[in-house]
Amino acid sequence: MTITIKGRSISKGYTEGEALVCRQPIGFNFGVDCSNGVITEYNHELFGKSIKDKILIFPHGKGSTGGSYVVYQLAKNKTGPRAMINLTTETIIAVGAIMGGIPVIDHLEQNPYDVISDGDHVAVDANNGLVVIKK
Amino acid sequence: MQLTDVEKRMRDGEQGEPVRMAMEILMALGEIYGAERLIPIRSAHVAGLSLKSHGLAGTEWAEDLAGKGARVCIPTTMNVIGVDRSRDLKLPEEWAKNQLRIETAYECMGCFGTSSCVPYYCGFVPRFKEHIAWAESSAVAFTNSVLGARDNREGGPSALASGLTGRTPLHGLHLDENRKGDVLFKVSAPLTNIADYGALGSYVGRIIGTRIPVFEGINVPSIEELVYLGAALGSSGGVALFHAIGVTPEAPTVGSAFGDKKYEIIEVTAKELEEGKEKLTSAKDRKVDYVAIGCPHCSLNQIKELSILLQDRKVKEETTLWIHTNVAIKHLAKQLGYVKVIEDAGGVVTQDLCTILGNPEALGFKILATNSPKMAFYAPGSNGFNVWYGSVKHCIDAAVSGSWKSS
Repeated sequence: MTITIKGRSISKGYTEGEALVCRQPIGFNFGVDCSNGVITEYNHELFGKSIKDKILIFPHGKGSTGGSYVVYQLAKNKTGPRAMINLTTETIIAVGAIMGGIPVIDHLEQNPYDVISDGDHVAVDANNGLVVIKK
Repeated sequence: MQLTDVEKRMRDGEQGEPVRMAMEILMALGEIYGAERLIPIRSAHVAGLSLKSHGLAGTEWAEDLAGKGARVCIPTTMNVIGVDRSRDLKLPEEWAKNQLRIETAYECMGCFGTSSCVPYYCGFVPRFKEHIAWAESSAVAFTNSVLGARDNREGGPSALASGLTGRTPLHGLHLDENRKGDVLFKVSAPLTNIADYGALGSYVGRIIGTRIPVFEGINVPSIEELVYLGAALGSSGGVALFHAIGVTPEAPTVGSAFGDKKYEIIEVTAKELEEGKEKLTSAKDRKVDYVAIGCPHCSLNQIKELSILLQDRKVKEETTLWIHTNVAIKHLAKQLGYVKVIEDAGGVVTQDLCTILGNPEALGFKILATNSPKMAFYAPGSNGFNVWYGSVKHCIDAAVSGSWKSS
């Protein structure tokens, strides 16, 4: 089954990969190990898990405003997510993603938590604001 | 977005590559968030200057910009960094060297090397309704909420882009209609010190996300207590603006804080405050080997209070006490004799750096005690420390005895 959903393009680009669905906001600065993409925030639902090469779905960023540089670092180190899908992308994630060339889409016409599960194959076409999910 | 003729020339690269790149970032943000135009701003504050945030990739990015002639055109202050430029704290040499590369690159761009998360303690105080582009989550919360300046949660690079152009896209909290509250927190919990305000911010930050909280019942906070409330809200959550009825300038009454917006009401009793404290505590071992105070950086009055707490006492030999502030406050505290009292007791007053941005973990510490909700939140992820959280008096007792006692 293939589902195509429209959204708002935040940072352009096209990529595909495996979905990692996170219901909590993510603070990138001091919350992710840039050498391997593992989440280090104590008490976080992704604590100890890697976001490397994933299509990362999370509601929005939080915390320290140095996060843009961390998103950029993850992109340059190739330890970051291939793409990100948010409910609403805030400025810190947006700028880091634009600098690092990570495609980002938000404001999907359907709630991503209703249609995307861990392990789904997801194509993110942020040039055209489209997300294609293969189940 | 509508650009003026000057802005079009900036976009087209007539003022050089750094300004063109800065315009690209600002215009992308403006398009995303539906800004009609850019507006002039008075000041910028760049953050994320630690090597932990920049990494080598970010360091090279900043050096490249400085080398291409990037220069800020409005007062632009720099955030706290990961080394103390006045002394050797025995941090790894490679770390210190690369951290100073970042500092140098930004100073080359004309930024003030104040190196502090509290530039408003160094004379950079935005006025009511002044448009600014500041990063550093605690400073965003403070300037927006307590001073009533107009600021969005800028990321480090977007704040730099604003410093280089003197502009920011007109959206979000720059518009009065977006500054009304979402949730009323009726606070009956007793708030007696900075750690209590931090616990309140930690509890509320976790449930409010990026919405705007309004507090009722916090009647006589000090400036420092409001700084730490904002720091907790900006780390446990993504809060950029809060109101406190009768305290902050946009909330003389409940009506003015919410306008005609519908709002939810949540009670905060002693139980919720305790929950906020528990979330900031990650240690079990009561032996404390590292005590750190000053995140955000200490005010002069906080340093004075610390010197009084440490008068005629000695920090335990196996325990290290670092008190973080900036060069301006450090200088005053030294002149007034507070630093001597603290150092005679075996504590260290650092300048420029802080625990989460530096790497004191390289010195082998494991268990941290602090009164900072922000440090308690980030230190497990940033430094690998387990944390005890409590009042400054508790923390200094732990520094002297080497162990954490329950309150």
